[in-house]
Amino acid sequence: MKTSGSGNPPATASKSEKGKSLKHLARDNSDYVILLFVALFLLTVPIWADYVSTFIMDAMIEAGIFAIVVIGLNVLFGYAGQISLGHAAFVGVGAYTTALLCTKITGFPTWFALILGGLLAGIIGLVIGIPVLRLKGHYLALATLAFGLIFTELLKTQNSVSNQSNGGIGGIPNFSVFGLTLKSKIMSSTGYYLLIWTIALLVVLFTINLIRSRVGRGLRALHSSDIAADTMGVNTRNYKVKVFVISAVLAGLCGGLWALSSGRIEASMFDLRYSILFVTMVVIGGMGNIWGGMMGAIALTFITKILELQIPQWFPTRPSWLADPGNIAVVLYGLLLILFMLFLPKGITFGLSRLGTLSKKGGGRVKDRLRAIGYRGG
Amino acid sequence: MFRKFDRDQRITIAIFAAIAVLVLVLALSIKKSAGFNTILLGLFYGCQYSLIAMGLSIIYSSTRVINFAQGELSVLGGALFLTFAQRASVPMLLAFILAVLVVASIGALFERAAIHPLKDSSIITMIIMTIGFSIFLRGIIKWVWGANALPVEPFTYGPPLHFLGATVERQSVWVFGFTFLVVIAVYFFFNRTLLGKGMRAAAENPEAANLVGVSPSRSSLIAWTMAAALGAAAGAMFAPKTLVGWDQGVWLGVKGFSAAVLGGLGNVMGAVVGGLTLGVLEFVVLMFIKPEYQNIIALSVLIVVLLLRPQGIIGKTEILTV
Amino acid sequence: MAGDTILEVDNITKMFGGLAALQDVEFSVPRGEIKAVIGPNGAGKTTLFDVLTGIQRSTSGRVFLKGIDITRMKPHRITGLGMARTFQTIKLFEGMTALENAMVGCHSWTKRSFISNGLLLPWALSEERRICQHAFEVLKDVGLGTRAAELGTNLPYGQMRMLEMARALASKPEILLLDEPAAGLNPYETGELSSLLLKVRESGVTILIVEHDIGLVMDISDEVVVLDYGEVIARGTPAEVQNDPKVIEAYLGIEGS
Repeated sequence: MKTSGSGNPPATASKSEKGKSLKHLARDNSDYVILLFVALFLLTVPIWADYVSTFIMDAMIEAGIFAIVVIGLNVLFGYAGQISLGHAAFVGVGAYTTALLCTKITGFPTWFALILGGLLAGIIGLVIGIPVLRLKGHYLALATLAFGLIFTELLKTQNSVSNQSNGGIGGIPNFSVFGLTLKSKIMSSTGYYLLIWTIALLVVLFTINLIRSRVGRGLRALHSSDIAADTMGVNTRNYKVKVFVISAVLAGLCGGLWALSSGRIEASMFDLRYSILFVTMVVIGGMGNIWGGMMGAIALTFITKILELQIPQWFPTRPSWLADPGNIAVVLYGLLLILFMLFLPKGITFGLSRLGTLSKKGGGRVKDRLRAIGYRGG
Repeated sequence: MFRKFDRDQRITIAIFAAIAVLVLVLALSIKKSAGFNTILLGLFYGCQYSLIAMGLSIIYSSTRVINFAQGELSVLGGALFLTFAQRASVPMLLAFILAVLVVASIGALFERAAIHPLKDSSIITMIIMTIGFSIFLRGIIKWVWGANALPVEPFTYGPPLHFLGATVERQSVWVFGFTFLVVIAVYFFFNRTLLGKGMRAAAENPEAANLVGVSPSRSSLIAWTMAAALGAAAGAMFAPKTLVGWDQGVWLGVKGFSAAVLGGLGNVMGAVVGGLTLGVLEFVVLMFIKPEYQNIIALSVLIVVLLLRPQGIIGKTEILTV
Repeated sequence: MAGDTILEVDNITKMFGGLAALQDVEFSVPRGEIKAVIGPNGAGKTTLFDVLTGIQRSTSGRVFLKGIDITRMKPHRITGLGMARTFQTIKLFEGMTALENAMVGCHSWTKRSFISNGLLLPWALSEERRICQHAFEVLKDVGLGTRAAELGTNLPYGQMRMLEMARALASKPEILLLDEPAAGLNPYETGELSSLLLKVRESGVTILIVEHDIGLVMDISDEVVVLDYGEVIARGTPAEVQNDPKVIEAYLGIEGS
């Protein structure tokens, strides 16, 4: 539609409008900058972590593994608007696939087993996703819950997959690629730390690219109004399934990495507790935001580890009713969820962005800039 | 009562009834001696599922929230009953009532503190909220009552009764009787009392509900209190048979969901049908498969219903799918 | 521009339970025309649009777009074939700027998906540039060029309506369905809308418009179809329909009582 100074807004405005180029709408690249800083920071952690406390590296490795699945879930919940209460099952699929391939077939390349684990999880995600994603809201939540539980139940009853008495698999070799083998966690965790966080950050990069693109807009549109999105040409069903499958693949990768880095897996590592843990990481981290997933994974891993391990160390003499820190941890965890939903339902990242809007002028700009790159909170 | 169902529902109910009869006849003919016993056992546990599912549907119909802590409220009821009756030597009936009252008040408290302030929140916020509550309760139960499953004495002692060739434990009589009374009472409440009918109206049309004198807020509070009470009763009634264990809540909840969805989520009477059906189905199928697969039965029912007919047997065809 | 029919509505009936929201509705829209659908409230006009765009399923009857049977097609495919739509209640995408809203409109004629965008492959980036360019042009055409970077839902009401229009136009439609685009607009804005629609028609896009504002309808439409209780009760030029006793009765019947 070519117009020539049509009778739109008053003459002066239309003149500047015609001459306006797209330069002022140039893209806000702050997410990439943040990514760079995060990467640099993470690179320094192995250097100083052990001096501060021995559990930091362990926690960071665990956080990194979970970050991979949680970032995928973050897109699924916050952008595609779906729910899944059974994602630990996909993690389990990846873990068991990787573990079985590496233990039953001697010399099977671990990096390949990792990829296959992710792919199998993705395929199962596709098979389950197509019928299940027709459901909405609570029904979707229940269906994913059911599938997750079925996986755990089936796992408990199959003894053929395990080589240990507890239904798990032990003796999983360490990750190796191109002849370079990572030493096990006990001796030097830096190798696994770097591997896991490299993968996690690549996933974040992929997600940032995706959210800023046509696909990301389609997803955000779908979440806002799926009728309008459909009418604008977004194949909502297709997108929902694709995001679900991607999140399943990421979960599978997470599982494989978990298997390789711990050397042992067992069925209880993939049960409902973990599905719920992932969901809470997404929500507490903040759903409408690319960084929510990572933040949630790190925050919750540290919180739970601190609760479980540090309480006995900080309070060595305790009354008998406080004897088992595990109990306190569980109760506090439940309380934490309730309080978060009451006071900070949009998550930590939203809370942080609110801090950025304390000053009106500068804050407003921060908010707009955040929005321009895909942040949907506040 | 049949006038209420439209053509679509009548067809489903007819098909369902036909399948049910078929399954029962099949089961009875294959293992005749065990057959009737199994069905009674199924009905027995079905009562538990029904009570829990009723609570779930009551909450869902008035607040559109799925209470993931329903199972834990049940276990808490059983645990409190145990403490009152056996540790504190309170007479059994009083212990039962006390346990139910305490859990009901906990439900009411939670509703006021956590559910009511968040009534306009997104689904996922509410889901996390009730999940948080369930984790909290589970932690408390494990903390206070310990990690081991605790035995509870049955309401009355005595040898099992014989009924139509089947062996019926005395506790089962209590359970059947109580469940029957509860179902009648709940039906009466929702269909004959002003408050109950008002709550149903509030569920259908929140704005108009105020005209009937039942605000959605009040409706929500009553719903949660009732559901907690029902759950607690279920827990206490079955504690003698299933023991009290801190981790029982998860599966009680899941089977409650299956039963509620089977009968139509939000449909209270449907929950009764769903619960009993699930119970019988579970135990009949158990005759033919290995015991470790028991839980898979309830899960399969849940999945099948969600994928094929999410509104359940009796539910109306809402827009539940994309 | 050939005088062929771009949209053919063939005996569409839509039942809700026992109630007929649409009853044997039948008309056709020639290319390049502006056709209006009017009728008292509840006559079924929005339901008609929902059926045409695939959001709701008709109980019986067929719809043909450019000769293709789109009766059972999903909405996103229908948009891909060249039919775009705005909504009676504004359905702008929240959390997205005006520009981004318009960019979503480009979805149906673009194709780069997850992999190419996630990996920032060159063809995805060039497509993105084209989308941005096109969306911005469309925004300028409706007069929202200066507001491109603002949140869509922050705009004043009249401009939100314009944005919905821009979003629909961004999809390069051959026929545009507008559901009460003048609702809530003041006379100045309605005049703007009028001239915009005429320009849109000039550029070759057919328009099917549901409207209550009789003035707007009379000004710009070539033909009018009148619905009442889901049935077509009259059709013809604006002047003809205005004087049709059945139409007067349908409207008066509501107002008179």
